[in-house]
Parts: sequence; structure tokens; C-alpha cells
Amino acid sequence: MADLARRLLDAHARDDRVALVALYEEAANTSNDMDAACFYLTHAWVFALDVGHSAADALYERLRGLGRA
Amino acid sequence: MAKDIELDALDAVRRPVETANGLPNAHYTDPAMFRTEAQALLMSTWAGLAVTADVPEPGDAVPMDFLGMPLLLIRDKDGDVRVFQNICRHRGMVLVTEPRKIEGAIRCPYHSWCYSTKGKLVSTPHVGGPGHNTHEAIKKDDLGLVEVPSHVWREVVFINVDGTAPPFEEVHADLLERWKEHDVPLYHGGADSTFMLDVGTNWKLAVENYCESYHLPWVHPGLNSYSRLEDHYNIEVPGQYSGQGTLVYRQLRGVNEEVFPDFPGLSEKWDEGGEYVALYPNVLLGVQRDHAFAIILEPMAHDRTREHIHLFYATPQTDEGMRAKNATLWKTVFEEDIGVCEGMQKGRSAPGFDGGRFSPVMDSPTHCFHDWVAGRLQAHG
Repeated sequence: MADLARRLLDAHARDDRVALVALYEEAANTSNDMDAACFYLTHAWVFALDVGHSAADALYERLRGLGRA
Repeated sequence: MAKDIELDALDAVRRPVETANGLPNAHYTDPAMFRTEAQALLMSTWAGLAVTADVPEPGDAVPMDFLGMPLLLIRDKDGDVRVFQNICRHRGMVLVTEPRKIEGAIRCPYHSWCYSTKGKLVSTPHVGGPGHNTHEAIKKDDLGLVEVPSHVWREVVFINVDGTAPPFEEVHADLLERWKEHDVPLYHGGADSTFMLDVGTNWKLAVENYCESYHLPWVHPGLNSYSRLEDHYNIEVPGQYSGQGTLVYRQLRGVNEEVFPDFPGLSEKWDEGGEYVALYPNVLLGVQRDHAFAIILEPMAHDRTREHIHLFYATPQTDEGMRAKNATLWKTVFEEDIGVCEGMQKGRSAPGFDGGRFSPVMDSPTHCFHDWVAGRLQAHG
């Protein structure tokens, strides 16, 4: 998790939003807490929307399926 | 009492050109009058904001300031040009601060609310708490970006800020009919065919100067050799536009006598004809057989105007050297006008100046504009 946090901070520092999509999704997938997972999924979705990433629709559907979008 | 004097002065402006005075000094020197005129003349009409070439590709977005308002010019994903208020519906944060390509959504830099390029609100992250992206009180369909009514004509993007103007085609039906032969595709010449001039003058003085040909032999002596005063005629449609036409337009020629391609389907009238019209309030247009131009006057303050000049051609590709030569020619002409516009602005600080008089023969297009200004101000109250 510490490594993921470091990679997230690096990606933020580089404003690498494409990388942030994958990293936040990874954070969601490794979280055992529903609220925390949805927090990370939300960030993945927002950055996917921002850059026009092909994962945006799937991330939205995943959140919607959890009653979060 | 001051209001009575002002209304009397506007009545004097609206007299027949033979006896009329020009607008009083305050219309050029008073910041409060500038704000009043912004409402009466620029926000309630179809004002020029930009050209479509400012956003050539889908997703292109340019933040703009118009009379202090933050606006966003954008070409949406389907290719339509739109204008929005450049602020988030959440906390009013400015959304886009530099020209850029919107790859996906317009994301607010504050709390990351996201909008499509058509203005639809698509994401409200954490609005219902961490990881909860909806809330019953926040209805996305009601919270899209505020769109400013816009209309594209001759590749100029016109906006009606307060939404009260009748449709553009209705307001400007006369000029659309007059120039219907010129209703053909226009191709912006690109970066070498656009330039900007900052002028220390009220925007109306730029209109007034553009309207009439009276000044041509004195201010533009270079034109006089082939474009004499008697070769020009006045154009006046009260309440809409005014300007001048020439009967002796000569095409620019290159070193090998090459010329720009003509716009297709023009009648003989345009072989040597050219028309130059101020479309009220703030767009100056020129049409000729082989190129056209648009000048968008950006009112910056009561005594400052930024002129955005754009040249258009009949074909997507034209000779680079010819384009550069043509841009230089027009830039020289428009720069020659700066001195008189700034001189008239300075002159408006002379106490007691009555607004001046008009040549009944040569200045009637300028009076036509003054009459429009005065009429709208009277109606504005």
C-alpha cells in the first residue's frame, strides 16, 4: 500500500491523469472497505472522464452497480 | 437634472443628420456610461465575441473575457461551436483558465465536478459523502453549464448575453439578403491572417471611423491613388448597420501577377466592388471578390478597445506569401486609423464639446450609428 501511495503521489506530481485512472482503480481493488473502495473508484472515474479514457463507462457502471453513481 | 440634460442630448443626436449633434462626451469618457452602454448596446444585442477558427477542432476550448464576464468558447464533440459561462455550477469556480483541448470532460479544478463539452453535468464526485456521487438534492439535469445564446455567421461567433434579442437571422435579415451572394464557405487564412491592435479609444469611435469614407484620402493616402472619394457610396440601414462601398476594388497581385481565387458564383457587381459594413454593435466586416475580413471590437474600458482582425479566403489553401502581403496591407490601413481614433478619444475630454456635427453627405453612415446608439439608450431608460 505504501508503494501504491508513492506511485499515486508521483502520478499527481506529474499530472499524469491517465496513470491516475489505473492507480486509483488499483487502490479500489485492494481496499477491503466499501466506502474507501468507492472513494478510490470515484477518483478513477473522474480522471477517466477528464482525459476521455475508455475505462470511464465501465468505472461508472461499477459505481452505479454499488449504488454510488 | 443631469438625466434631463442627457435625454435632451440624445434627442439632439436623433435629429436629421443636417442638424444633429454627435453623442455627448460622457459616452466616451465616463466609466459609468460605459457600463450602461454595455447593457443597452452590447449584452442585449448580437455582439461579436470570436471567430470559429479560434476553436478549429472538436474539444478545443478558449476562455474569454467579455465585458468582465468569464466565458468559455468551445467546439463540442459533434463540431458545434458553443459559448458557456466559464464557471462551475457548484461554487462558481472558473473552469478553464488557458486555451486547451478538452480530451474528455471539463473538470472543475476545485471539487472536480465534470461537464461534457455540450455543457451537461456528468459527475459530482463525493457530493453525497465520500464515495457517494449522487444526492437527491443535486439534480444533474438542472445544473448544466449556463449556455450563452450564440450564432455563427461569416465565421464570426455572435452572442446575445441577456437572451432578449430576436433571432440573429431576423435582426440582420437585411444584410443577409444584401450579401447573399457572399453566403459561401469562408476559409480563415490561419495564424498569418489574424492580428490584434490595442487602441486607446472607446469602441464606438472605431465603429464611427470605419463607417465613413470621408477620411480615406486624408488618413489613408496610399488608397487614394486608386480608390478615390468619388468612387465610394454610403450604406445605411437604420437600426442595423452602416458603412461604405467602393466601385474600384482592385485585387492584390503577386510578383507574377497571380491573384487569390474568387469566391464562387459572384455577379459582375463584385468584379470591382467591395463593401465595408459596421454590423451593430461591434463587428466590422468587409467583402470583396477574393477575400473578406472581420474585425471584432473588444470593448476593454471606456477608453480602451482591442481590435481582433481576421482575414478569410475562398479556398482552404492559398499562397503563403500572398497571404502575408495581404495581411501587411490591411494592417497598415488599420494602424493608420489608430491615430484618429485615439485623437477623437482625447478630444472628448474637452469640456462643453457638443458632440460635434456631421457632414450631411459624407458622415451619414456615422450618424446612422449614433442614432442607433441614442435610440437604444433612450429605450433602455
